[in-house]
Amino acid sequence: MNRDPAFSRPHGPRSLMRGLFRTGAGISGFVIISGFALLAMATAAGAIGSEWWQTSAGAWQGPGAEHWFGTNRLGQDIFARAVYSTQTAFEVGILVTIASTLLGATLGGLAGWYSPGWLDESILWLKGVLDSIPFYLLIAAIAYAMQGSPWAMHLGMTAAFWTGTARLVRGEVIRLKEREFVAAARAIGLPGPLIIFRHVLPNTFNILLVQATLVFVAAIKTEVILSFLGIGTRDGISWGVMLAESSQEVLAGRFGNFLAASGFLFVLLMGFNLLSDAMQDELDIRGQTA
Amino acid sequence: MRSGAYIFRKLVSAFALLIGVTFISFLLMVWFGPDLTYQSLGKNPTADQISEVRRQLGYDRPFMERYGAFLGQLATLDLGHSDSTGEPVSRLMARTLPVSLALVLPGFLIGNLLGILLGLWSAWQRGSMTDRFIMGASVAGMSLSFLVIIILLQVLLCTPWGLNLFPARGWSVDGLSAYLYYATVPTLSLVLITLGYNTRFYRSVMVEELNREHIRTALAYGKRTRAILFTHVLKNSLAPILTRLLFSIPIIVISGSLLLESYFGIPGIGKVTYDAITNGDQPVLKAVVSLTAVLFVLVQLAVDLAYRWVDPRVGPS
Repeated sequence: MNRDPAFSRPHGPRSLMRGLFRTGAGISGFVIISGFALLAMATAAGAIGSEWWQTSAGAWQGPGAEHWFGTNRLGQDIFARAVYSTQTAFEVGILVTIASTLLGATLGGLAGWYSPGWLDESILWLKGVLDSIPFYLLIAAIAYAMQGSPWAMHLGMTAAFWTGTARLVRGEVIRLKEREFVAAARAIGLPGPLIIFRHVLPNTFNILLVQATLVFVAAIKTEVILSFLGIGTRDGISWGVMLAESSQEVLAGRFGNFLAASGFLFVLLMGFNLLSDAMQDELDIRGQTA
Repeated sequence: MRSGAYIFRKLVSAFALLIGVTFISFLLMVWFGPDLTYQSLGKNPTADQISEVRRQLGYDRPFMERYGAFLGQLATLDLGHSDSTGEPVSRLMARTLPVSLALVLPGFLIGNLLGILLGLWSAWQRGSMTDRFIMGASVAGMSLSFLVIIILLQVLLCTPWGLNLFPARGWSVDGLSAYLYYATVPTLSLVLITLGYNTRFYRSVMVEELNREHIRTALAYGKRTRAILFTHVLKNSLAPILTRLLFSIPIIVISGSLLLESYFGIPGIGKVTYDAITNGDQPVLKAVVSLTAVLFVLVQLAVDLAYRWVDPRVGPS
């Protein structure tokens, strides 16, 4: 339900962590994500998985001790490719999440603060326009305009995902505007933008946090579809690229790419969904899936 | 707010949205799109030929004039010819849209119906093992990539490594049995893709409804469970259910058919869109993107006006 989140009790990071660790779901989500994050950092540092492109082994080897999920048509180790793809997933997830959270918080904050008014109307209009274009199509159009730039995917997802965050932030800012601390800030003559960014937006932190986990999940899932459509990850390797390759291979009975990529993908997404659920229960906030 | 004023306000905002979506489509795919001059020219064109083609494509005209021409194309549905097949785009769309609707609508309806029933059951048994199982399964379903679900079902049902009951690809439908033969696996995929999201959404709607006082009264009067669930809860949740159904139709038809048809090789509007994306077929891509968005705005407007008609208390939101 698109219920507006109630104003939650002040909830510092430490008490939030304590609350999350009360439930099994919260703990498992946190452990899974941390595990994958460490994996991503290790591959980024070049400690593991960096030999994913090596073609030394023969093509289409079956699973075994040497190659856990076998090798692909070029003789590359499928498990190494799946491990290395963790880095791609986090890169896409983090970039899109940060960009759409910043954009959504800024525009949602401005809209809420200046509501009712022309600025609010214009931001709502922009949000309505972007929400009216099914987002695979919006991203396809952006990819077309950017003519194969690898950043079209990130830009397209950000353009599609900031609107959910903005909607929630706007509603919360309209509520916060009526509270005493805002009246006090106005009374001592602080300018509007300063009140928004220094005093109002920090109070929407919990909403942003919940929404960020949902955007992260959406970004990783969308990358898979876009890679299948040929407008996703262009240079490099990702679970989406592996799944796109596997869509041809499974018909020939080769399941290595499919099993490795879908297994990694499922566990990471499950981790995020568990953490997000635990967080939504703890903070009593309902996010909006993009 | 008076009816006239409300309707006027809604019409104005729908008009503003139409301007917006067409403007963005134009900007991305026509104004900033790749230069198409040399696609239609032979080898070693003369300067005259080049400028002639550029004039035909409208590259020599100012921004607003080209945007106006684009709007004219949309309004008259005269959308040019596909770059790859030469077929008029409007005919292409009229030919393929029915296939997509036949493919996607049953799965869409089943997915929502099952979601409503599971949501209702889960909400009624809130906190029980049943509820926890249904919710756990929904989260697991939401953690599966759409592509993974499709590939998995294809392997399990359409290949010798599974039951091998249905075709892995293709579409030659001339009757009900052929339809079931080709459409079952895509439909099942769509149901599984949407079920987790639907169940969660409908459960939260039903939980909210179950918390209301009239339900407590009905319970206190000893009404039977089935009567409470289906007449009181379901009937009062119709508004959010209908809203979700109507709003997701354009998205499910386009995004769902895009995935299912390109994967299963079914010649509907989604396959056409997929081909246009991979080939950079600009006339087709811009028609699909802008017409879907226009359709979505019109559906929104219709929903708003219908609500107002059903319940005159509905004001500006």
